[in-house]
Amino acid sequence: MRQRIAHVDDDPDIRDTVRRILNTHGYEVDSYQTTKDFINALSEPSVVPDLAILDVMVESMDAGLTTYVELHNRFPKMQVIFLTSLGDMILPYFENKSEEWICIIEKPIEPSDLLSIVRDRLGTTKPELSVS
Amino acid sequence: MATADFSWNTSTQKFTLAGGKESGQKLSDEILIDNIRWFIIFRWAVIGVLVLFQVVALIASDTLTQLGIREQQHWPLAITAILSAANFAYIYALDFCQPSKYNSPSIIIWVQIIVDLLCLSIVVHYVGSTATPAPFFYILHIALSCIFFSALESLFVAIIVSAMYSIVLLAESEMFFQVSQSVLIDPYFSSESLHKGRVLVWMIALDTLFLIVWYVVSRLTLVIRKHEQYLREAYEQINQAQVAKDQYAMLMTHQLKAPLDAIRSKINLIKGGYCGQVPREIEEVLTRIDRRGHSMSNLILDVLRLERLKTAGRNTGAMEYIDISETIHKCVDKLEPVAKARNIEIKLSIQNFFSCGIPDQIEIMLENIIANAITYSHDNAAIDIVSIVESSDNSAIVTITDYGIGIEEKDLPNIFDEYFYSPRAVMHNQSSSGIGLSLVKIAAGNNHLQLKVTSAPGLGTAFSVIFSNIRVPKEGS
Repeated sequence: MRQRIAHVDDDPDIRDTVRRILNTHGYEVDSYQTTKDFINALSEPSVVPDLAILDVMVESMDAGLTTYVELHNRFPKMQVIFLTSLGDMILPYFENKSEEWICIIEKPIEPSDLLSIVRDRLGTTKPELSVS
Repeated sequence: MATADFSWNTSTQKFTLAGGKESGQKLSDEILIDNIRWFIIFRWAVIGVLVLFQVVALIASDTLTQLGIREQQHWPLAITAILSAANFAYIYALDFCQPSKYNSPSIIIWVQIIVDLLCLSIVVHYVGSTATPAPFFYILHIALSCIFFSALESLFVAIIVSAMYSIVLLAESEMFFQVSQSVLIDPYFSSESLHKGRVLVWMIALDTLFLIVWYVVSRLTLVIRKHEQYLREAYEQINQAQVAKDQYAMLMTHQLKAPLDAIRSKINLIKGGYCGQVPREIEEVLTRIDRRGHSMSNLILDVLRLERLKTAGRNTGAMEYIDISETIHKCVDKLEPVAKARNIEIKLSIQNFFSCGIPDQIEIMLENIIANAITYSHDNAAIDIVSIVESSDNSAIVTITDYGIGIEEKDLPNIFDEYFYSPRAVMHNQSSSGIGLSLVKIAAGNNHLQLKVTSAPGLGTAFSVIFSNIRVPKEGS
C-alpha cells in the first residue's frame, strides 16, 4: 500500500513541484490550497495521511502553526514537516516544543533533501494512526 | 597592515518601570515587600547611629556635657533593642514564615510604621519635643509614606504622626496627666519652661506643618506617578509597535521570497531530471539563474535577521552561558559544504570557555564572520579559527583568520555599516548582501562583546571577538 502524504501550500508551483517529486517515488500525494481544506478532509479516515507537509503562512500568518497544534492533538503519531520560505526564522514560535516533532525545511525545494527527510520521517512512524 | 577596534558600549541600564502603581490605589505585594526590605536596611542604619551615640556617651561623656548634651537615661539602649528586635521579626516574617491573613506585606508595613513612630515619639520625648529639632524627623516618615504608599495611606500616616506628637506634647505639658519632661539639651542651654501656651503653639504649628508636607509631597508623588503611568503606556505601545513591525517584516520577507522559492524549486525540478533530459547548456544557465536567486533570497532573509537583531537589542534578551566550542563547531558544520566546494580548509584550535550571551545571536555573529572569511578567501586556501583563554583577566579571544583579498585601510571603519560594499569585495563576490557584518556588529553590541579587525590587502583579514567575564570549564567536565 502506497504511503499517503498531505501537502498544504497556497502556491500552485510549489504544490506541483512537491507532487511531481513524491509521486515519482511512489507516494500518494493529496495537495491542499488551504489548511482549512486539509482539516475538513481529515473527517474522512481514509484520507488521513502518514505525513503532512505544511506551509506556515497560508491563509494567515500562522495558519500552518495552528494546524500543526490541531494535528498534534488529534493525530499524535502523525509526522509533520514544515516547508516554508522563512526556514528556521519560524523557530522562535516553537519555544519549549520537542525538536523530535519539529522538522523545518526551507524553500526552495531540493528534491533529494525533501526525499531523504520524508523517508526518514516515514521510516520512524508506525503505520497505524489513531483518529481521536 | 591596518587594525581597527570596534566596541559598542550600549547602556546597561534597562528601561524598567515598576508595575501596578496607580495613583491613589493600593500597591502590589511585590512593591510593598521591596519597600519593607528598604525600610529594614534604613532601620539598621538608624540602629547604627544610636549605637555610635551610646559608645560616644560612654567614652566621651565630659565632651558631650561641654557641648550641652546632658547624660541620658537608658532610652537609646531601649530604642536600639526595640528596633533590632523589630527588624529581626520583620525578616523572620518575610523570609521564614508562610504568608497568611495575619502575615501579609501590608500588615508588616503598617506594624513597621506604628513601631517606628512609637520609637520616634519616645526619642522626641527624651531628646526634647520643643527644644530640639527632633520632631522634624516625623516629616521624614510623612515624606517616605507619600513616596511609597498611596495618597490615602500616607494621609493616615500624617494623622498618626500628628496624633503622636500631640500626645507627647500634651503629656509633657501636664495638660491631662503628669509626665516628667526629659530634654537631651541641658536646661542651661535651652529654655526649659514649657508652659501650656507654648505647647499649643508648637502643637498647632508642627501639626499644620505635617499636613502641609503631606499635601505637597503627596501631590508631587501623584504627578510623578501619573507621568510614570504615561511612560509605562508609551513603553507598552513601543513594544506593541515592535511586534507589529516584526510581523510586517516577516510578511514582507515571505512575500518577496516566496516567488523566488517557486522559481528555484522549478529549477531544482528540472535539474533533478523530473522534467526529462535537459541539454547541458540549459542546465548551466539554470545554475546561474539559481545562483542569483540564491543571493537574492539570502539578502531578503538577512534584512529580516537584521531587523530582528535590532529589536532583540532593545528588549531584554534571554542571556545564558554558552559553550563557545560547541557553537563554533555548529557554525563550521553548517558552512563546511560551502568551504569544501571551493576546497577551503577550516582549521580549528579551540580552548573552550563559556560566555554569557544570547545563544542565537552569538551563533549568527560567529557564523557570519566565518562565512565572510570563506567568501573572501581564495580557492584552495585555509581559514584558521583559534580561541585563546586569558585566565588572568577572565577573558577570551576568538580569532578567525583568512588569507584572502583583505580590506583596504580606508574601508576598515565602514565594513560594519549596513549595505556597505567595497569595490574590491564586489569584484571578488558579486552576490554580497552587504548585511553580514552589520549582523555581526549588532549581535556583538547586544551581547557586550568587543571586535577587533586586522587586515592587509592581498594578505588576508583577522576578525577577533573579545569575550569578557567568561567561565572556563573544569578539567574533565
